[in-house]
Amino acid sequence: MDHVGNLLARPRLYYNIDGLGELGGSVMCLGYALLLWLLMRSPADSVWQRSSLFAFIGLMSLIHYGTKAVKTRITYPRTGFVEYRKRWHTAAIAAVLGALASAGLAVGFRRSWDISMLAPLTGLIFAAVYGDNFARAVRWKWIFAGAMVLASFAIAVLPADVLGALGSESPAHPDRAKLLGTILLSLMAYGTMLLISGGISFWLYLRHTPAPAQEGQ
Amino acid sequence: MNQQIRSIADLDRVIHEPGRLMIAALLFAVDRADFVYLQHETDMNKGTLSSHLARLEEAGYVAVTKTYRGKVPQTLLCLTGAGRKAFEQYRRNLKKAL
Repeated sequence: MDHVGNLLARPRLYYNIDGLGELGGSVMCLGYALLLWLLMRSPADSVWQRSSLFAFIGLMSLIHYGTKAVKTRITYPRTGFVEYRKRWHTAAIAAVLGALASAGLAVGFRRSWDISMLAPLTGLIFAAVYGDNFARAVRWKWIFAGAMVLASFAIAVLPADVLGALGSESPAHPDRAKLLGTILLSLMAYGTMLLISGGISFWLYLRHTPAPAQEGQ
Repeated sequence: MNQQIRSIADLDRVIHEPGRLMIAALLFAVDRADFVYLQHETDMNKGTLSSHLARLEEAGYVAVTKTYRGKVPQTLLCLTGAGRKAFEQYRRNLKKAL
């Protein structure tokens, strides 16, 4: 990439100048983990089993509107507002890849395949996405990218009975329990790391960018 | 070689000025941004930034919209179609020349 190319990449990295991109990702991972845990542990006729879709929509709305509210109140007055160009092709590729991954996961889940060994691969992909979106602008965040890879490998080498115990209390489907345990633990690990790195970024942002005086432009 | 060196003279002088080049490059990558963002990214003072923006607006490269964010006035800026074309052309010419 030439110098102008580097310059043009700057506004894209501005999205996470306040760490809200990471904090949003953290809420998503930890929220998914909580929903998954509730679905696994609650009885079949419980409210969680019947309203999981609404809970999912609520979580996504919380991330979307919560981020918007914080940006409006804190980020825009301090370092400015940016409206990004719509990248439909990137969104379409992400949607297709997401749908394929979800479909693969669903098939593996239904057929009780042992796809929990894919955890290190998922960790590598997650770390690469994190590195490209967040760590490229701030070097110390590569520590978290590395920690994500390590965490994924650590989860992959955990004994099956530990993961199974996390995944479900029912011993009827040990492979499924191991998979659920792997997903749950991975979400918690990624969510916690994003929470820490996002929290540090947000704290540094508030520290280094003073609130503006109340005046017009 | 002569032709290559002479192509420097073809560079768009409105965009070529470093301050305006920064503004054009920042606005090229986004749909629109406000005055505060440009000020933060370029580290220019209000007066300098305003004069560069006025020059770019005069050339038809930047569109300025005055609005409000809540009760606070907000100045939104975006590159026009002509501005985008001029910046792309400038980038091509610069690559050709150097």
